[in-house]
Amino acid sequence: MDLRFTPEQDAFREEVRAFLDTELPPDQAFDHEFCEDDDRWAFAFEFTRKVGAKGWIGLTWPTEYGGLGRSAAERMIMFEEFTYRDAPLLNAIGWGLAAGSLLVGGTEEQKKRFLPEIARFERFWAEGLTEPDSGSDLASLSTRAVRDGDEWVVNGQKTYTTWGHRADVLYLAARTDPAAPRHKGISIFCLDLGLPGISFSPLHNLGGGRQNHTYLDDVRIPADMLIGKEGEGWSYIMNAFYAGGGGGGLHAKMQRMLDQVVAYCRTTTRDGVLMIKDPIIRPQLAELALMVETERLLSYESLGNHENKRPPVFAGALGVVVMKEGQSRFAQLCNQIMGPLGQLGQGSRWAPMGGDPEAWYRQSYANHAGGAPQVKRMVLATRGLGLPR
Amino acid sequence: MDLAFDEHQSELGGIARQLFASRCPPATVRALEEDPAGFSRDLWEEMGRLDWIGLGQPESAGGSGGTVADLAAIYVEMGRALVPGPHLASAVICGGALVAAGVGGAGGGDHGALTRAVLGGSQIVVPALSEPGTTYGPEAVKMAAEARGAGFRLEGVKLLVAFANSADRLLVTARTGPAVEDITLFLVDPAAAGVEVEATPNVAGYPLFGVMFRSVDVGADAVVGPVGGGWALLRPALERATVLRCAEIVGAGERVLEMAVGYALQREQFGQPIGRFQAVQYLCTDIAIATHLTALLTRQAAWRLDQGGPAGREVSMAKAYGSRAAQQIVHRGHEVHAGVAFMMEADMQLYTRRARHWELDLGDARYHDELIARSLEA
Repeated sequence: MDLRFTPEQDAFREEVRAFLDTELPPDQAFDHEFCEDDDRWAFAFEFTRKVGAKGWIGLTWPTEYGGLGRSAAERMIMFEEFTYRDAPLLNAIGWGLAAGSLLVGGTEEQKKRFLPEIARFERFWAEGLTEPDSGSDLASLSTRAVRDGDEWVVNGQKTYTTWGHRADVLYLAARTDPAAPRHKGISIFCLDLGLPGISFSPLHNLGGGRQNHTYLDDVRIPADMLIGKEGEGWSYIMNAFYAGGGGGGLHAKMQRMLDQVVAYCRTTTRDGVLMIKDPIIRPQLAELALMVETERLLSYESLGNHENKRPPVFAGALGVVVMKEGQSRFAQLCNQIMGPLGQLGQGSRWAPMGGDPEAWYRQSYANHAGGAPQVKRMVLATRGLGLPR
Repeated sequence: MDLAFDEHQSELGGIARQLFASRCPPATVRALEEDPAGFSRDLWEEMGRLDWIGLGQPESAGGSGGTVADLAAIYVEMGRALVPGPHLASAVICGGALVAAGVGGAGGGDHGALTRAVLGGSQIVVPALSEPGTTYGPEAVKMAAEARGAGFRLEGVKLLVAFANSADRLLVTARTGPAVEDITLFLVDPAAAGVEVEATPNVAGYPLFGVMFRSVDVGADAVVGPVGGGWALLRPALERATVLRCAEIVGAGERVLEMAVGYALQREQFGQPIGRFQAVQYLCTDIAIATHLTALLTRQAAWRLDQGGPAGREVSMAKAYGSRAAQQIVHRGHEVHAGVAFMMEADMQLYTRRARHWELDLGDARYHDELIARSLEA
């Protein structure tokens, strides 16, 4: 047991902080999942390219694929610092899902072709998994890809496509063998969104961001854009989801939110009492602090297990359940602490904390992304505890 | 970065699990609830032979060396088997305060021999902290110690004193001044004139007692550490004990999870194992989550204590969560087992009753929430 990072890792944290001090003015920090301001997006593109130039997008990847070959602990540290400051690091589908899939199943040629480019952030990836009739039951997806010479012809519809309207390419899951068992007939493609036959219609979400319906109508994809092996797509999606992950910095986001709420409660008087002295608010703050702590410990535990080559506890499902269920509870508490004005949002000069808690409350229901909490509970029960399906 | 118990701790835990499985099975737990002493002298002596009683205390003071994390690995297994015993009260809390007083040097009597006897297990000293009408912490000590000549006179009531009927000495907190922490520690012979020990039936079937102090005169040599400096000696020992209580909750949670999953797999209703119903699966996953998060917080707090710096925040996080977890674990366990768990012949109810004691002992969730809130103010 040792809950410390090494001196080298601490030094890397200082390097990351120095980079952010220089490259991320606090007023440019924003959550690019829930913002459609084009000026901010222009900054985010520029910022993410600078991160790529440092080599930090592919921090942990092998050097021959454009990475720096650094440790998972350093990746955790980087995400902690980035997330704590709300740094708009774009392209999570590219460096998370797509790169994860390539590292798991890509051919040598594909890894050399795609990964260095993702590491530099040359193209912006969106996610093309979910369909109108395939959400939690993703393996039932029905978008079809039919081989025709050197091309695949794709027809179908994707939905909830976050960033689709801003992206260059789509991480597309399509059924290439309808006769195979449903988990075996899916393949992954890198779909160039400039190809003919692709269109979007907007879906505006509760968090303030835009998602999309994505329509694929006789889109012809060059055959060399199929990632890994034909029919193996499901295993790539699963391994990129569970093994690759997004970075594990959620506790840093919660820490930032807690720090903001505590700072507000320390300086704001309500009913003649400093909020932090309010006997109703105090246990609520304690609960928030505990949620940050458990989230942090879950992240550190999985890091430690990874570093010591031990399998994840409870098939990796327990932490996912806690993380997903915690998000909405956390935001609800932050909002409740604000009292009656907690319902006021950005744009009102009366909104507490500039309206952030109102926005957090709405955004917290994005916790379904990557699988609803209830589905993860089922995974924990069956794979983690051995209960019957 | 690693939150797992190390090899040595895992080994200790493995030995402890085997020992307690053979020496303290549920039948023994039940029998000891009926036994006036409430614990097994044989097992106590075996723990002494294994050098576990003085674990986590320096060898120079009569301890066995080792860490709080080592102890936590053993306490997980004590919780799993519901082993009753005076270790926490005597070796951890009183032993810890006595060792701290010895290191501090200044004031009080010389208790080096008693310290060694406590850490070796031949003497049992238990703390008398709680009082009627108060809750936890130094604020809860109202009982006064009045200076009389070279000594003091104690007057008041202490409650929830564990193993008082087996104790060679009581370690009594009493107020020697108005400041919150102006508290002094006194060693009192439970057989002394004016001391009366009263059994208090309780949910856990645990040996908890009320102790009445009626004009009990003690000499200056009964004082442990400096006059007015008692809480400073006691606090680190209580923090350590709090973390070990949480470790017991973890072990109990692991066992309740095994029982619940086992029952859900075997019990059939409506033509299928009840473990196939998602409502039942949810209950089982709740137990797993409550147990595992308590385990992580407990290991962090134990590690932090072993580093020697301030650990109050981490300790309170473990107990604020662990107290609630203890109740959630047994509540969900009952829901899965339903009727059978309500019968005294089921083992589930043994956990249900002990969990309530653990939940309330050494600070309940509300108390530790408040300490967490104080850490946010700082």
